[in-house]
Amino acid sequence: MTDPKQGITEAEAIEQAKQGHEAAFEALYHLHKRRVYSLCLRMVSNPVQAEDLAQEAFLQLFRKISTFRGESAFSTWLHRMTVNVVLMQLRKKGLPVVSLEETLEADDEAPRKEFGAKDLRLTGAIDRLQLQRAIDRLPPGYRTIFVLHDVEGFEHNEIAQMVGCSVGNSKSQLHKARLKLRGYLKFMRAEKAKTG
Amino acid sequence: MTCSEVERVLPEMLDGAPGGGLNADFESHVRGCPGCSDLVSELKLISIEARQLAARDEPAPRVWVRIATELRAEGLIREPEPQSAPTRPMLVSTFSRWRWSAWWLAPVAAALLAAGSYVVSHTPAPQVAKQQAPATSVTATAAETPSASTPTQARQQMAPKSGTPRDMTATAVATAVEAAPSAEDQQFLSAVSTLVPSMRATYESELQAVNADIRESQAYLDRNPGDGEARQHLMDAYQQKALLYQIALDRIQ
Ligand SMILES: [Zn+2]
Repeated sequence: MTDPKQGITEAEAIEQAKQGHEAAFEALYHLHKRRVYSLCLRMVSNPVQAEDLAQEAFLQLFRKISTFRGESAFSTWLHRMTVNVVLMQLRKKGLPVVSLEETLEADDEAPRKEFGAKDLRLTGAIDRLQLQRAIDRLPPGYRTIFVLHDVEGFEHNEIAQMVGCSVGNSKSQLHKARLKLRGYLKFMRAEKAKTG
Repeated sequence: MTCSEVERVLPEMLDGAPGGGLNADFESHVRGCPGCSDLVSELKLISIEARQLAARDEPAPRVWVRIATELRAEGLIREPEPQSAPTRPMLVSTFSRWRWSAWWLAPVAAALLAAGSYVVSHTPAPQVAKQQAPATSVTATAAETPSASTPTQARQQMAPKSGTPRDMTATAVATAVEAAPSAEDQQFLSAVSTLVPSMRATYESELQAVNADIRESQAYLDRNPGDGEARQHLMDAYQQKALLYQIALDRIQ
């Protein structure tokens, strides 16, 4: 995230933030706000909650900034901290971080039959707003894994560690989430084709 | 390999194949089976398209305000001591030199806000006589939306640009706002780069992102004129852009 065009590097901003300079904190915030807020928003599907969570993630990070030595990437640190803040919140609210339906819905998944939309193929680019809405419809557990893996680019072993599940569990939930999304998206396209 | 075997190994195969004989079996079945081939390519498509959602959304400016307030209360942000002034980051100090040249930001921000609410409040009622000024002079006119032309004139003016009468107004407004930004944005960015070179890249990427958002939302709305949620999204995008100008303005005060 260091951008030489910006005149002040991220490393310099970090050093100045350690000395209490507001502008340095602000520069760090602006560098990372989209990534952090978007992650929160995808995970909780609620802008007000997402703002609170983003705020909390930045505050936790800034409180520890004096311990940051630069041996690991600042953005990686912040990214992980954000995930932890969100997961903590989900747990506090009693929402499943990993889907509990795992064993119950083995035959709920009939990917080819969903919504009877077999003939409607998903081709070309997927509309961003539609995809966003489809993700919002995912049960929280599936959504967590899908967002962490496919949107945010975490590996299964990282997810397993953060979420507290097995790697196999992470993989199978990701797969089910994608199948559900495929169903939702086909359904949305079929609806749109009907209404015109 | 059968279709159900394919489905069973699919989670593994989609995220980095384990390799070996399984891989070849899998590939050859998928190649010859339209059902499995669709399934595989659609799941891959979803996974690829999901990436575009990372870092897409912009938090409201109040988030930073609340963070800064808290940091100040906790003593993490400290007022600079007099002798430390020369080493202070230029981010803030140079912004104050900016004031004289930024008088034009306020009307632009106001115009963007007006255009955003205009899109939302006026589109569902196409017979309303109000009409947005043509593309060239957003800064001067959009803030006090003129009520000059009749619906007929409006329709004639806009006829070449849009499809149904229903989304004409929205399209015209979007075109007006979007046609102007390149000029406004250029001016904005060159002011930033002259006076606050350190912030240029930030503002540039913010502008690009919000302009892309406006374009994308508008395109979606053109295809789905009845979608209220998408309309709201478009207005939010206009507001984001207005706020971007506003934030720059606020920092100068
Ligand atoms: Zn097959």
